[in-house]
Order: sequence, then structure tokens, then C-alpha cells
Amino acid sequence: MHKIERIAIAGVPNSGKTTLFNRLTGARQKVGNWPGVTVEKKEGFFALQNSKVELVDLPGTYDLSPDTEDQKVAERIISSGEYDLILNVVDATNLSRNLYLTMDLKERTNQIIVLLNMLDVAESEGIDIKADQLSKHLGLPVVPIVAVDKKSVNKAIKRIEQLAENLPPHDSHATKAEVMDTMQKYAYIDELYKRTVSEKKDRNLNWTNKVDNIVMNKFLAIPFFLVSMFVTFWFAIGLGSVFIDFFDIIGGLLFVDIPGTMLSTIGAPEWLKVMIAGGIGAGAQTVATFVPVVFFMFLALAILEDLGYMARVGVVADRFMRKIGLPGSAFIPMIVGFGCTVPAVMAARTLKTRRDRFMTIFMAPFMSCGARLPVYALFCAALFGAYSGLAVFLIYLSGLFMAIFTGYMLKNTLFKGTPSHFIMDLPLYHRPQIGAVFKSAWFRMKNFVRKAGSIVIAAVFVLSVLNSVGVEKGTITFGNEDSQSSVLAFAGKKIAPVFKPMGISEENWPASVALFTGLFAKEAIVGTVNSLYATMDMTDQQAAVTAEEEPGGVDVQGAIIEAFSSVGEGLAGIISSFDVLGLGLITEDQAGISEEIGTETAVLQHIAAHFTIFSAFSYLLFVLMYFPCLAVIGAARQEMGGYYAGVMAVYSTLLAWSVATLFYQIVEGHSIFYILLSFTVLGMIYGGLHLIGKKEKEEFVPVFAPPIRKSCCE
Amino acid sequence: MSTVLDLTSMLTSKTYTVSGFTDETTEYARKLHKMGFIPGTAVRLAPVKMSDPLIVQIRGSRVALRKKEAQQVLIKEI
Repeated sequence: MHKIERIAIAGVPNSGKTTLFNRLTGARQKVGNWPGVTVEKKEGFFALQNSKVELVDLPGTYDLSPDTEDQKVAERIISSGEYDLILNVVDATNLSRNLYLTMDLKERTNQIIVLLNMLDVAESEGIDIKADQLSKHLGLPVVPIVAVDKKSVNKAIKRIEQLAENLPPHDSHATKAEVMDTMQKYAYIDELYKRTVSEKKDRNLNWTNKVDNIVMNKFLAIPFFLVSMFVTFWFAIGLGSVFIDFFDIIGGLLFVDIPGTMLSTIGAPEWLKVMIAGGIGAGAQTVATFVPVVFFMFLALAILEDLGYMARVGVVADRFMRKIGLPGSAFIPMIVGFGCTVPAVMAARTLKTRRDRFMTIFMAPFMSCGARLPVYALFCAALFGAYSGLAVFLIYLSGLFMAIFTGYMLKNTLFKGTPSHFIMDLPLYHRPQIGAVFKSAWFRMKNFVRKAGSIVIAAVFVLSVLNSVGVEKGTITFGNEDSQSSVLAFAGKKIAPVFKPMGISEENWPASVALFTGLFAKEAIVGTVNSLYATMDMTDQQAAVTAEEEPGGVDVQGAIIEAFSSVGEGLAGIISSFDVLGLGLITEDQAGISEEIGTETAVLQHIAAHFTIFSAFSYLLFVLMYFPCLAVIGAARQEMGGYYAGVMAVYSTLLAWSVATLFYQIVEGHSIFYILLSFTVLGMIYGGLHLIGKKEKEEFVPVFAPPIRKSCCE
Repeated sequence: MSTVLDLTSMLTSKTYTVSGFTDETTEYARKLHKMGFIPGTAVRLAPVKMSDPLIVQIRGSRVALRKKEAQQVLIKEI
């Protein structure tokens, strides 16, 4: 009797293994990462032989050679013998390619049961497979299954239980002499195929081909692609945004207002309130606001992938994406970046190689996101007048250009010499399974909250405390947010000279202080600029009076009503307007903008007095490019690890400074020194990335040494 | 007749067999080998009129390849 405790599911992408995994585990699953790598790990439990069995869904791979991270992970797990049984899901409609993986598996373990999936689809395509013959020639047990059908899966479980009784103990028994090369494996498969499969009809006529003949047609491919990208964007960003205010208000209520009031009533000291409500609470609120967009992004990705269209996106977009050295599927993260960078960074995980993922994540923040738009709108209202549209267009264009520039830089430094060729499998179209796509989005979103959330909360905590704490004449005060007396404002004033080369004078320190609050979210710049300019001319006493206005108590009912009505308004908004980017915000009408983003016209006059057209534009360039907000860094850390998230933050900030400076000095400042300085900084960035790339090449060989079992995705 | 052609010169509705690669030792060749592009395997153009990347049918699946790279794959008429 062979006791089964841990099972791994192996199979090629789109073989239906994830469907089977979902069917078996139901809601009892979690999504994490394999230790040390950014390969997604899905695990869960189900009942077999009357006991709870651990089930893990291995990354989908066509073979087990160490070409990609996915394949390395799969290879390691199978060879290690840590799992008592490997269920190899094989797609009956594409047998020979699927059996190649089976051949690779056979060389590494003898505890395999082959699950022959989609026999029904194969039959309808005129492919007849004799399962018993297949088993005999393969030397492995073969169980027919229809993974989407509950009854069929239950039947298969019974059969697996029986077969497990006679399973041999783990033995990677293939000796060197028995290991076949690729040609021999396919020769074997071809022979086996001849004996077990008979094809009847012309397979050209299947449903997928019919759809492809329209969707991938020479003339319709691009229009269809654009429409599908618009729908994806609308879905992830438009629909996601509808719920942002809801999560913001409810998050504020739960994490900030209620704890704050409770602490007040029990007479807690001010510093504790600042720490708990203003720090940790505000951090949790920040994370909460990203929950809807991240969820809808993953939902959109899951649908595209399940549908089989994701691979087609890769093919259609390849023609232009290859010019910047990225696969076509990187188009999705880029386009989503125009809405919000956080889901864009997370969407990069659909890309196959580490290099492609990292490059995409580095480039995505340069796509100007929705949160930066209010900042542009504010400055447009103050300075650009009739040229607002042009200014914003140029900013977006600069972002696009900087993304391409970044791609070019990375290709020649950090990711030098990596071969890039394009081989894309086009899977059959499937009807997306509603339950499965929701589940996938839900678990990935939960993983985002847990993994990226912690770092975002920590960072927001530090920044909030600095924003609140003020030191005046030796005493520490609190509640100095967006005023001149906070530590953050002090730091902002001190650092102001750094921004002088890009046209921000030292007297214009509110602009540099705002760059710090912009780390929370870039639209926070508007609020800070607003209140700092407003208090700038006031005497200290007047400022103190305005700061006194503390609202008493929490209006729980009011907040809840407001939260729900925001969803209604948002829904009405996205249905009535196709302006998904929110570009309607940019108008020439000063009063309109003031009302929309909550500024006073007096503030606009301040901006007009402190900036010239050119220094304002260079400031906006800086806002576009510098340190992406904390949530983006949290997401980037989740996808690339802390080191590369740090490299990205430093890279973007230095690049922002040199580009903004270069622009300002060329058009207005005319200082040769600063122009040379920005070129020097650009050169340093290049050199730095080059060194990191070199170091990486030397160190990258042992990808993951930690044992898989112990540190399995906590 | 069996002139050696490359993948990009396939005509629709005609079936060919893979005969090899311009260079069998490249990473590209190695990858395609594993996907079943080995001598003797039947290959044809998918009836989708996309010229680049081109889409070929092989072993019951469809694979998209860039035109420039696909020139490395040699085929024979049958």
C-alpha cells in the first residue's frame, strides 16, 4: 500500500491542468510564489484515500530543460521526489506535443499517472485515441478525464485511488544510457502515435481555426486587437476605478477614523493616535484603494488567458513591440499603465521570461497614470491656458519616449546579450470558466494585499509620521500635515536647492515638499501644493488657527452612504462616457478645474507667480517620471524582489531629474554647467546599470537553492 | 521534386515536411526541435492570412514565428 500525501499536477500550458486543480481543490487553495523565484505557486487540498492530500499546480511547461524559470521549478520538484505522485494532464487534441513532456517526466520519476484530458473535444475533431494502447506503449497508467466535468473528475479520482495502490516508490530510474535526445523522443512519440491514434476529418475545420480566420485575419487582426485592448483597459481601469472611492472611504472609516476616535475617547496620547490611525491606518487605507483595480486587472487577464486570446495579443502586437525588444504580450501592462501603474506591474507576470518581466516593470511607470492627471490639470489651469491640451499631450508623449529609452538602456546594460526570438503557441479557444477566473483574480488579489501590502503600510507609516510630526522650539507637535511645520516640510525645504536646475527656485519650496507627499500617490501633490501655497503668506498665528479646525467624531452612517453612492456615480460615469483616461479633466476653464480637483483660484495665481511655463513643464516632467508611488514599489517588490524594486526607484528618480533639468536648461536656463551635469547623471545611470548587469550575470547561475518543502509560500 | 525551401516560402493549402535548420546548433533550433520541428514532420501554413509573424500548423498545434527567424527552418515539398 502506497500512502499518498502530496501530489503535483504537471502539464503543458492550456492542457486543462489548472481547471482540474480548481475542480479538485475548490476554494481550499492559496496562491503564492515558489521560494526564491517569481514563479506563481498554487496549492490546495483535496480528499483522496479518505485523507487530506496536498495538491500543487506546477507551472505549465512543454519540457523540463532549464530554459526558463518555470521549467527549472517544475524540473526540481519532479526530480526531488518530494511529491508522492505526479498527475500528468495531457491534452488529447494535441497529443504529440503533450507527450513530449511525458517523456521528460518519465526520465525523472516513475510515479506518474497520465490523465488524458479533453477526449470529448478530440473526438469531435475526429481524433480517436485508444487509451489502453497508449498506456501499454507508454508504460504508464492512463486515465481518461474531462476536467470541466465534475462527474468525470470524480470517476477519475476513484481510478487514481486504485492505481495509487500499486505505485512503485520514487526512483529517478532513467540511467544515462536510457535518456533519449529530442529526435529520439519524437521518433518514439511518432511511432506511438501511429499505433494508438487515428485521425478522421481534416482538422483545419475546427472551431478555433474558424475563429482565428476572422480574428487573426490580415485586415481584421489590428482592429480586433485594438477593440480587445480597449475593453481590457475599460474593464480593469474603468470598472476598477468605480470602486476606488468606495474602498477609500470605507478604508478610511475602518482604519483611520474609527481607531482614531476610539483612541481619543480612551484618552490615548497624541503620538499614539498619529502612529496607529495616521500611520498604519493610512497605510492600510492606501492598500485598500488599490484592491479594486488589482482585482479587475487580474480578472481581465484571467479571462483573456482562459479564452486563449492572450497568445494572439502576443502575436498581433509582436510587429511593433519587437522594435523595443519586448514580446507582444507586454503590450497589456503598457496600456494598463495609462490607468494605474500598480495593476500594470502585476500584469507583467503573464510574460514568460524574467528579462521580459523586469523590462516591462521598469518601463510601465513611464506610462502616465490617472493619478498624475490632476497634477497636470492644476498646472494647466494655472499656466498653460489654451495650450493645456498640447502640454498634456507632450507629457504623455515624453512618458512613452522615456519608456522606449528605458527599454533601450536596459537591453544594453542590465539585460545584455539575452537572445530574443519569438515562438508562440496558439492554444484552442475556450469558453472562460466564470468560477475559475473569479477565483484566480481573488487569490492573486489576496496575495497582493499580503505581500505588497505590508511594505506599503510600512512606507506610508514612516512618511505619515514625518508628515505629522513637527519640531518647534524643542517641543514636538503633531497634526502638522500639509503645513510648513512638519518634519517632511522641513526636509522638503532643505532639499529644495536640488530642484533649482530644473527651474524650481528655493522660495518655491512648496513644490519640492509636495514631491514627498507625492510618494503616497501622485495626486497628493495637488493637495499639498494647495494647502502650502494657501498658508505661505499667512503669519504663523493665522496658520495655527487654520490648523485647529479638527472635525469632531466620526460620521459612520454618512461615510457608508457616501461610499455606496460613489459606486453608483462611478458606474453612471463609465457608462455615459468613453473618456476612460479621464482626460476630460484638462480644459481651459480655470474655475471648472478648480472645482474638480478642489483648489482655490488663489492657489492658481500662486502657481502662476512661482513658475514660468517652462519650469512648470519641467516640474511636470519630473512628476511624470520620478519615484513611482509607494504602492507601485510594493508591487514591484512583490514581482522582482526588493533589490530590483530599489534599483527601479533610484533609476526613475535620477532619470526624472536629469531629463527635467536638461529640458529646463535648454529652453530657459541656458546654463552649460547644468546641461553637462545632466548628461553626466545620464551617463552615470548607464554605467550603474551596466555594472549591476555585469554583477547579475556572475551571480545569476544558482537561481534557487532553498528547499522547497520547508518554506512553502507562507 | 524536392527543392529545399524555408518556412517563409510556404504556400497555403500545400503540405511540406521539415528537413532541418540552416544551423542545427542554435538556441532557436534547439527550442523548435523540442516543439516537434524535426526532420520528416509535416508542416503547413495556417489558413490565417497573417504574414508576419506567420502561423504554421505542426503536430496538431499552431505556432507563430517571426518571418525573419523562420527563415532558419528548412522544408521540403512533398
